[in-house]
Amino acid sequence: MKFKASLTNRGIQILEKRFLHALDKIGKTWHIYLTPDHFIFLHNLLSFDGIQSVAQFSKQALFSDYRIASQTGNRIAFTLDLALFYSALRGSASVCAAGGANGVHVRLAKKQTNSNGPNMPFLTFETQGGNSTVIHDVPISSPLSPGDIMELQSALENAQEIPATLVQVPDLAKMQNFVERHKNIGDILKVSVTQYGDLLIEVATTLAVAGAAYCNLGVLGVHVDAPAESQAMKVRARMELALERGEALSAELKLKHFAKSLQCCLSEPDSAFLGIAPQAGCLTVIFQFFIPGTHQTDKSISLHCRLPVLET
Amino acid sequence: MSSSSSSDLVCRLDSASGLIDALSSVRWKRNQDALVELSEHGIVLIVEESGCLQAKLYLKREVFASYEYQAEGRPRFAVSLGLLIDCLNLFTVPGLSRAVEIRSVESSSSDSCIFAEIRTKIPDTISWDYNFQPAGSTPISFTVKSAALKEAVDDLEWPGSSVQITLQPNPPCVSFRAEGHGDLQIDFMYYANTDLLMAFHCDQQICYRYKYKFLRATTSNIPSSVTKDKRGSKLTFGMGGLLKVQHLVSVTRSSTQPPHVDASGYQLPSRIAYIEFFVKPEVDEDPVNDS
Repeated sequence: MKFKASLTNRGIQILEKRFLHALDKIGKTWHIYLTPDHFIFLHNLLSFDGIQSVAQFSKQALFSDYRIASQTGNRIAFTLDLALFYSALRGSASVCAAGGANGVHVRLAKKQTNSNGPNMPFLTFETQGGNSTVIHDVPISSPLSPGDIMELQSALENAQEIPATLVQVPDLAKMQNFVERHKNIGDILKVSVTQYGDLLIEVATTLAVAGAAYCNLGVLGVHVDAPAESQAMKVRARMELALERGEALSAELKLKHFAKSLQCCLSEPDSAFLGIAPQAGCLTVIFQFFIPGTHQTDKSISLHCRLPVLET
Repeated sequence: MSSSSSSDLVCRLDSASGLIDALSSVRWKRNQDALVELSEHGIVLIVEESGCLQAKLYLKREVFASYEYQAEGRPRFAVSLGLLIDCLNLFTVPGLSRAVEIRSVESSSSDSCIFAEIRTKIPDTISWDYNFQPAGSTPISFTVKSAALKEAVDDLEWPGSSVQITLQPNPPCVSFRAEGHGDLQIDFMYYANTDLLMAFHCDQQICYRYKYKFLRATTSNIPSSVTKDKRGSKLTFGMGGLLKVQHLVSVTRSSTQPPHVDASGYQLPSRIAYIEFFVKPEVDEDPVNDS
C-alpha cells in the first residue's frame, strides 16, 4: 500500500484557505478516501446520524504528482482528526509562504512513536525549504479493510444520488445570517421546494411561525411552469397547491444541521442548490464552483451535504 | 403588503431596528410576557414582575409609517416579548403588520418575503395599573443624563444590596446609596453639574429604598442610541415612594433615512417611543421615609 503525492500551490490554497476551514465546522473526524483519480473527504457517510458531507477533488485540482498503489483496486481509505490535518497543512503552507520551498510532499508512512512500540500509521507532510526540511506527521487510523472500502464506496455512490429537483439558494451569506437568527425561535426547520422554483423555509413552534419564501429561483432537474391560477397566489398558498399537485416536496430537519451545512460558504462556492430526496430521507445541499474567471462549473471540485430528514 | 380587512390593526415601519431597541429596553429577563393593548392612538406594551416592577412602552401611531386601526374597543392580548424581538430580528427590510403578524416584502425580489406570525396569549388577570399619584402639589422629580444614570446604577451593583435614593432641596442634590459588602454613595449635585442633572424639583427631603435588581432593570437595556443622542431620563417619586423612570427611545434608524429634525435641531417627538418604569419601594418595618 503506497501513497505519495505533491501538493501544488493552488492545491494548498484551495485546502488551507477554503475547504478545511469549512469542513472543520462540519465535523471533527473525517474519512480520507484516495482513489486513482480522486482525493475525497467524507464525513459521517457510514452512520448518517447527523450531517453527511462529501468534498471531492480530482487529483489534478490539488496535486502535481500523484501515485497510489494498493491491493484494493488502488484505493486507500482511513480516518483522521481534521484539525490535525489542518494544522499540518497550515504549517507546511507557512514554510512555503516563507519562500524557497520546493512544494509539499504528502505520503503515507508507518513510524514508531517510541522505541519499543509498534509502528503507527501517519499521513506525512514534508516541506523542503531553502536549508531545512519540515515534517508534520498526522496520525491516522489503520487503513480500512477491502470490505470496509467497498462499503465506503457504495455509501459514496448512494450519497452522490441527487434529488430530481434542485433550486438555487438565493444569496448564501444572507441565508446563513437569516438561519442563524432563527435559532432563537425554534430548532426544527421545515423546508419546501417546488418544481416551479419556489423555496420556503420556516421554523414553526407552538408559539410562532417565522421564515422566508423565495420565488422564481433557478432550477436544476425537473422544472415545470407554475399553473396559471397560482401566479397571483402568495408563496405559501402556492406551496400548498404544489404539494397537493405532487409538484413540491417538503421536509422537516434540525435547524442546526441546516446552519452547519451553510458553513460550507467558507469554501467560497459560487452558488448552492438544494433539493429533497424523499426515498433517501434527506435534504441535499450542493455547492457549485466555477472555473475561475468563467461561469462554467469546475468539475474537478465538488462539495455537498446531506441532512437527515426527521420522520413526521 | 398585507392589508387584510379582518385585521384589527395593520401598521408599517420603515425599519424594525428602532422598535427592537424600544422593546429590548423593557426586557430584563429571558422569558417575559408582555401585555399589548391596541387603540386608535397607538400601541401600549406592558411588562410586569412580581407586583413590584412594571414597564410601559408607548408606541404612538405617529411612530409608524402607516397605522390602519379597524378594531372596536381596545383589544388586549399577551405575547412573549423575547419571541417578538427574535422575530423582528429576522427582518432585514422590515415592516410590521399587526402587532402579532409581521410581513415584509424584500426589495431585491418582488415575490420573495420574510414572514413571522406569533401566537397571542390570554393576558393574566393581574392588576396592571400602579396608580401613580404625585406625592404633593409639585411632583418631586429630577432629570438626569440617561448615560449617567445607567453608569451610576451599574456601579451600585458592587455593594450587592438595595439602593437608597435621597433627594434634598438644600443644597439640591440626589444621592444613590447602597450598603452591603461595602458601601457606595453617588451624589448628583444640581449646581455642580447642570449638564448632568438637567432638572430638579424637590421641596422636601425624601428618602426611599429600592431593590437593586428592579432599579437595574430600568436602565440595563437602554439602547446605545439613547446614550449617543445624549438623552435624559426623568425620575419622579409618587405617593409612598413609587418611583417612575421615563426614557425616550428613537424608533427611526438615522442611517437609512434622515431623522425628522426641526429648525432648532431637535428631533421631532413623532418617531420617539416613550418608556416608563414603575418601581415599588422596599417596605421596612421601620421606614426610612418620615415625610
